[in-house]
Amino acid sequence: MPKLARDTQHLLLTVTPGVLCILVFLVLPSLYLMGMAFLTNGPYGLPTLPLSLQAFRELAGFGFLGWSPGNLYTLLRSVWQTLLATLIVTLIAYPAAYYISTRPARWRALMLLAVVVPSWTNQVIRSVGWMNILAPGTPLADFAARLGFIEPQMGLFPSQFAVIIGLVYNFLPFMVLPLYAAFEKLDMAQVEAARDLFASPLSAFRHAVFPQTLPGLMAGVVLVAIPAFGMYVVTELLGGGRSMMIGNLVARQFAQASNWPLGAAGALIMIAVTLIGLKVLRNLGRRLGGDREVVL
Amino acid sequence: MSRGRLTAFLRGFWYALMLFLYAPLLVVVVFSFNSINSSARFAGFSLDWYKRLFANDVIMQALWNTAVLATVSTLIAVVIGGMLGYGFYRYRLGRLSWLVWLIYLPVIMPDIVFGIAEMTFFVLINQWLGILAPGLGTMIIAHVTFQVPFVALLVNARLLALDPSLFEAAQDLYASPWQRLSAFLLPTLRPAIAASFLLALTLSIDDFVISFFTAGPESTTLPIYIWSAIRKGVTPEINAIATLMIATVFLIAMLSMLGGRRRRTSDT
Repeated sequence: MPKLARDTQHLLLTVTPGVLCILVFLVLPSLYLMGMAFLTNGPYGLPTLPLSLQAFRELAGFGFLGWSPGNLYTLLRSVWQTLLATLIVTLIAYPAAYYISTRPARWRALMLLAVVVPSWTNQVIRSVGWMNILAPGTPLADFAARLGFIEPQMGLFPSQFAVIIGLVYNFLPFMVLPLYAAFEKLDMAQVEAARDLFASPLSAFRHAVFPQTLPGLMAGVVLVAIPAFGMYVVTELLGGGRSMMIGNLVARQFAQASNWPLGAAGALIMIAVTLIGLKVLRNLGRRLGGDREVVL
Repeated sequence: MSRGRLTAFLRGFWYALMLFLYAPLLVVVVFSFNSINSSARFAGFSLDWYKRLFANDVIMQALWNTAVLATVSTLIAVVIGGMLGYGFYRYRLGRLSWLVWLIYLPVIMPDIVFGIAEMTFFVLINQWLGILAPGLGTMIIAHVTFQVPFVALLVNARLLALDPSLFEAAQDLYASPWQRLSAFLLPTLRPAIAASFLLALTLSIDDFVISFFTAGPESTTLPIYIWSAIRKGVTPEINAIATLMIATVFLIAMLSMLGGRRRRTSDT
């Protein structure tokens, strides 16, 4: 057999199953879901013709009873809770990643593993753990009640506080790993030079450490913010109605409320916001990091 | 702040972080041995919850489903994903290079959108053709679909780190593609395959959302069982089930650490 033909055959043989799997079981379903957003909600909550923008109107808050801002609040809250969680994760991950990078080499792999292992347990179990800790009557809840943050005999969940803790807990490793990779390659000579020139620790960080760790930070922000924005489990288990995110709104349309087109429209908005977020981060990274490509 | 004080601060910070990361898991494990049903007060050591758990047929079925789902989907994903990673590396795709973006699609797609898209698609196919009724089969398909890209990326990364001339040498040494596969490719890729096996396994065990939306009435897994128990407000055995799953994850972590150590010693 000629080499070219055999190469093509090998290519098809190795690549086809994987590509087919993703095409048939991910691309096709996603396209179907996107199309569904433009259908009308039928009598049993299933999508039917004719094509319409009804679902988007409902998503924007126009219903039988006039306009209500609930869904828009949910979208804004999703963005806000994502940003807050990402900020807290970053503030925790920076010192942690730096500390790991200063330890002897033989300890580092173990320390990284220690950070990552909790995130391998099932999402639901992690939330159950926090439910145990934040439940009414636990030391933490009693302490908070004594300080007057919550009513006595109440738990610390469901609350927005619990949701933020859950988000930070879930996605912290995704920030520590890329930041650690950046710190490991850090050119300490630059930092020493800054200190020798009497730079304060803060300005040494800003001018010597931060630019060097920026690619790691940007990668971490992408890895944390994207799944945090789509969170379902934590908000469902640790949050109440007032900390609901867009993922919960979408899921509800397929479970209890049965309005598939509305849910599909919500999913479409989720994907759009995710892509816009990626684009913004990319531009931000480029602006902060000069010409270097820092994201993806 | 002097260097010594900074180090002391960082050490303290690290221990606080460990407490934050492990307290929720530790609480689950400790209270799974509690003699009363409370997560606020430990009344004494008992194995009651575990006895009840192993006597409960629904939970045992869920345990079996969880194990089948994780192992079957992982095995399929490692084969398909490994081939994909190899194919993308070996045959520079030229006109087909846009296909690489397919790999990133499942990685950036929110879980919930992924799960719902699969569910609506399976429902549609089921209405038309009568196949793919929700159950373990649809769950395995969904899991394989999100595992494949991670395996492909890992295998691909390992191949990119190799010296390209190795492939020519292998071509000169071994006549048939099968010989090359068994004598060169598989042994070379063994660390990457082992790593992607563990990664795919943890991805499957960690997942709840995608399983939840593609599951059928007969294919409840442990996380889905815990979820619906919380919703119904019955929670007694939950800490015991969760402890079993935490133990599994720590077993995998130890395996991966041993694998990492062996890899490092064999490289040098």
